[in-house]
Amino acid sequence: MGSELVLILVVIAGFSFDFTNGFHDTANAMATSIATGALKPKVAVILSACLNFAGAFISISVAATIAKGIVNPDVLAGGSGLQLVLAALIGAMTWNLITWYFTIPSSSSHALIGGVIGATIVATASHEVNWHNLIQTVIIPAVLSPFIAGGVAALGTYMAYRLIRRLGQREARTGYRYGQICSASLVSLAHGTNDAQKTMGVISLALIAHGDISAAHFSVPLWVKLGCALSIALGTASGGWRIINTMGNRITNVESPQGFAAESSSAAVILASSYYGYPLSTTQVVSGGVLGAGLGKVGSRVHWNVIGQMLSAWVLTMPGAGVLGGLAWAIADLFGAHSNAGAIVIVALAAAGAFGLWTLAQRNNITPEDLDRTSVTPVEEAVMSGVPPAVAAA
Amino acid sequence: MAILASEFINWTALWKIVVAALLGGAGVVIVFGFLLVGVKIANNAKDGGREWAGYALAGVCGAFCVAVVVVGIYAMVNKPSSKKPAPKKTAAALIAPSGRSSL
Repeated sequence: MGSELVLILVVIAGFSFDFTNGFHDTANAMATSIATGALKPKVAVILSACLNFAGAFISISVAATIAKGIVNPDVLAGGSGLQLVLAALIGAMTWNLITWYFTIPSSSSHALIGGVIGATIVATASHEVNWHNLIQTVIIPAVLSPFIAGGVAALGTYMAYRLIRRLGQREARTGYRYGQICSASLVSLAHGTNDAQKTMGVISLALIAHGDISAAHFSVPLWVKLGCALSIALGTASGGWRIINTMGNRITNVESPQGFAAESSSAAVILASSYYGYPLSTTQVVSGGVLGAGLGKVGSRVHWNVIGQMLSAWVLTMPGAGVLGGLAWAIADLFGAHSNAGAIVIVALAAAGAFGLWTLAQRNNITPEDLDRTSVTPVEEAVMSGVPPAVAAA
Repeated sequence: MAILASEFINWTALWKIVVAALLGGAGVVIVFGFLLVGVKIANNAKDGGREWAGYALAGVCGAFCVAVVVVGIYAMVNKPSSKKPAPKKTAAALIAPSGRSSL
């Protein structure tokens, strides 16, 4: 049994991680809708926040698991389980903030898994980690998911632009904007369902390790469900404008048919993979979808340097969060593996680091007003995409 | 290399995902495009027959899109991790030593 104080810190860290998960992943659902002017930025994130909140309550009979099949369960539920989960959450949250500062969309799920693995390796040994399952259930899907979503989005975009010849630019732009809002909403709902449950699983695990709830008759307490749903919704509503800018504007210049193709493809891949038990990272799926939508339109320009930065961040996410999780554990362990002091110190360090990154980010802050495209005309939109004004006006 | 790939890649789930993604992703985009075409035909129609044909096309395409959204929500509600397993005696109820992780 761990101490009450450490349990409280785990719960606070869990909700904080969910908050970072929310603002980090708002871009997955809403970046393209904002970039094409289908929705005003603030309206988009509030809509996404509501759907994330609702999604957290869908299919919650069992909370999703953390590092299931990858880390020996006895380690996390054992005597040092609370401190280990705390270190893992701090590692994941700090990595999320670092990638947010560098405006790079990266997987919060991979960060959490990396944090758990890093803390586990430092706390125990690498033989407590099932590397085969890690490759099979995390690494391989991470490599495949952008290609699947990208291929589907490229095909959808190519076909959409063939149909647009029959429609005309104005009708297509307006029509696909409505479709975009619907498909982005579905991605938001799916995100709430998948991601809020992960933190529910983490906090419930801490409650089991502390002896508050029974593993044999396990159910997620209502306050945990509400807290996680509220945290992810508040995080989503807070914007994450830096990553929205990258996803919506820096990968390629997204038009409404491309946005609709990217979001529909992403929603289909996420929901199908979730249903068939082959879970993928929402961030990587949507990034692949946006890239595919860029490639699917003839003449559209893809910024490969941004894709390169994202790929680097994806490769580094698990090791990076792992190092941070391991470091958090090592610092806490200096004060004794079961001491309150160690837990307080790593939480204080994480809070100071978060404040430092937030302060640095204010120097080149991106506001919702910078991203608002609702008043952009079709001609301006086409010019941004590289189409000559005369063609765009036709 | 092929043995390694088959050991690490769940091809059974993968091909189902690709088919579902093609239908639900690219399929919806194409059908939604025909919905817009149907609306345009109906709006520009100069006779009643053409107008109804346009609306019929839009209606069928709209029904397909709505059906895909309903199937998506069904998949969300009925995904494997939402099904209640038999109670276990240890924390393995939360973290099993084998099986698939939920990202």
